[in-house]
Amino acid sequence: MKKKKVLSLLLATAMAASCLTACGGSDAETTEPETTTEEGTAEEGAETTEEGAETTEEGAATEEEAITATIKVWSPSEDQSEENGNWLATMCEQFKTEHPNWDLTFEYGVCAESDAKTQVGQDATAAADVYMYANDQLTDLIAANGIAQLGGETETYVKETNSQAIVDSVSVDGAVYGVPFTTNTWFMYYDKSAFTEDEVKSLDAMIAKDKVSFPLNNSWYIASFYVANGCTLFGDGTDNEAGIDFGGDKGAAVTKYLADMVANPNFVNDKDGSGLAGLRDGSIKAMFSGSWDYAAAKEALGENLGIAVLPSITIDGEAKQMKSFAGSKAIGVNPNSQNPQVAVALAKYLGSAEAQQKHYELRNIVPCNTELLQTEAVQADALVVAQNATFDTTSILQPFVANMSNYWTPAENFGNSLLNKEVTADNAADMTEQFNTSLNTSVAE
Amino acid sequence: MRKKETASVKTRRFIANTVVHICLAALAIVWLFPIFWVILTSFRGEKGSYVSSFFPKTYTLDNYKRLFTDTSILNFPQMFMNTLIIACFCAVISTFFILATSYCLSRLRFKMRKPFMNVAMVLGLFPGFMSMVAVYYILKAIGLSEGSMIRVALVLVYTAGSGIGFQISKGFFDTIPKSLDEAAFIDGATKFQVFTKVTLPLSKPTIVYTVLTSFMAPWLDFIFAKVICRADAKYYTVSIGLWKMLEKEYIDSWYTCFAAGAVLVSIPIAILFVCMQNCYVEGMAGAVKG
Repeated sequence: MKKKKVLSLLLATAMAASCLTACGGSDAETTEPETTTEEGTAEEGAETTEEGAETTEEGAATEEEAITATIKVWSPSEDQSEENGNWLATMCEQFKTEHPNWDLTFEYGVCAESDAKTQVGQDATAAADVYMYANDQLTDLIAANGIAQLGGETETYVKETNSQAIVDSVSVDGAVYGVPFTTNTWFMYYDKSAFTEDEVKSLDAMIAKDKVSFPLNNSWYIASFYVANGCTLFGDGTDNEAGIDFGGDKGAAVTKYLADMVANPNFVNDKDGSGLAGLRDGSIKAMFSGSWDYAAAKEALGENLGIAVLPSITIDGEAKQMKSFAGSKAIGVNPNSQNPQVAVALAKYLGSAEAQQKHYELRNIVPCNTELLQTEAVQADALVVAQNATFDTTSILQPFVANMSNYWTPAENFGNSLLNKEVTADNAADMTEQFNTSLNTSVAE
Repeated sequence: MRKKETASVKTRRFIANTVVHICLAALAIVWLFPIFWVILTSFRGEKGSYVSSFFPKTYTLDNYKRLFTDTSILNFPQMFMNTLIIACFCAVISTFFILATSYCLSRLRFKMRKPFMNVAMVLGLFPGFMSMVAVYYILKAIGLSEGSMIRVALVLVYTAGSGIGFQISKGFFDTIPKSLDEAAFIDGATKFQVFTKVTLPLSKPTIVYTVLTSFMAPWLDFIFAKVICRADAKYYTVSIGLWKMLEKEYIDSWYTCFAAGAVLVSIPIAILFVCMQNCYVEGMAGAVKG
């Protein structure tokens, strides 16, 4: 009796299993050709991108081949909101009219530039054909096979219309990955009624006079002090083996400076938006942030809002220029795209001067196209001028080598130790050495 | 002499009660303080994420208004509806799964019963999101990761494994006397009839509890919604929307709306609870006679 039961159970499971595998089999069959084609194009991707670029080059003169395609495009939701003029759809429709032989359907998705790493990295084969990313994610995107190298005419276009620093920000080992459309860095907002234009050139002069807010326990910001005094990250920023050098006398001098600054009652740490709130109620006269806070800062200070490049700090009697991390935002192409030719052309179009102009008009996105920056309207904008001046003169390219991932947490912790006065002028040298060691220790090991 | 004693007992009790009440009051404050603060923030007139005072300087309803009118960047009404739809399906399907599993484990006797309960216990120890990437690829393979199928995928994710949370209702079913089942069997009822006609009517409190927790799951889950919705903003649930409001670009102007959204999320759950509350009171009094 029992045996029979066991037998029937076995038979039942066998049947169920065969049923399942049968379904699985048919599924696999249907998906297999898809994946093979995807892989196929992925491999061809690099070649076809170059070919694609070539054909577009010819395309200007000769007819383009007819293509029917659905192109998936991801951008931040602001680019798709009607209120902000729906930049993405406008540009994509315009792109369509410029290529009459291509029958294109666009599918829009939402993905902020800073999310590209996670969204594309999760499943590159199902990600958008064209998307936007912040350049610090480049290493991860390449590792996830989520971004295609640009070649041919598009590469030339990127190199010709952008400053060298911006081209470097989207290049790895000499290869260009994406069409940059804006810079990304932070600078200073200040109250013109509190500081003169001369005073904002020196942080010490500012702190001596009135309240200044700085996000000291934010790793993106704190490095600016160390870089000011000649400390380096990965050599020129691209040498993974060189590591981070915040140690020695030059590092200790900065730590001492920061410990003194924290002790100054006119220094206020900026955390959870307290800087902006202070600007609003007048308790803080200067803060450090980026273009994303422009509208709020303008609302808070109105006519009195001043925007300036980073000030210098005085270390051992010498004025040293603070240098922020800078990066760019760019449009990337997915190597798994079914239509790499169209995707590359679209990426180039979305990063073109025309599209940047529109982006600036609709959303105040600071352009980076060198020709566009020369136009009068753009030159008259304080925000654009300050951001680009910061990018050009008081910033270093934020390194995106693999070991940079070891930097963020220790830097934040060190900022916290400075704020709660565990690090003082007396133990600065020791603490800086420890800090430097932790910066160069891999979290994964 | 006697009177004195009672007086001292009284004072002693008074002291003990006072101490207990003070402790409870302190705990209540600790518990309710953040909720109170969120509600206050949702009515705050000043913008920004940082304030120097606990009580807002100005009060306004604009934060709520904005949530439902300013839909161009973060479409909160749509996210709310998405979540509500998913939650309704989850409440029905999960509840059925959980109650059915509990009934089987409480009333039926089969060989795998004990091992199954142990395995379920061990599996329950792992956090669910451990499998999120695998879940995503499985959903993609069966074509549920694109378009409107995303809602189906989310319902599936929230309900499919819910049977594993049988412990509480099984415990409740165990307390229902078996003699009731036996009486029903003698009258010719099948096992399913016993489940629906005898066990379920007697276990309203646990049904209420199960429905509530199942309904809440989609409102609270962030990780699976994020992994499965990816860039499809049309299918976002409220938790993704609330998270977006706290991103660098939005936090300054959306922070008070975030608080308003957090308050609004509690409303459907509260309504469901109020509707089902009277079931809690009905116990099993008088179920077994003699």
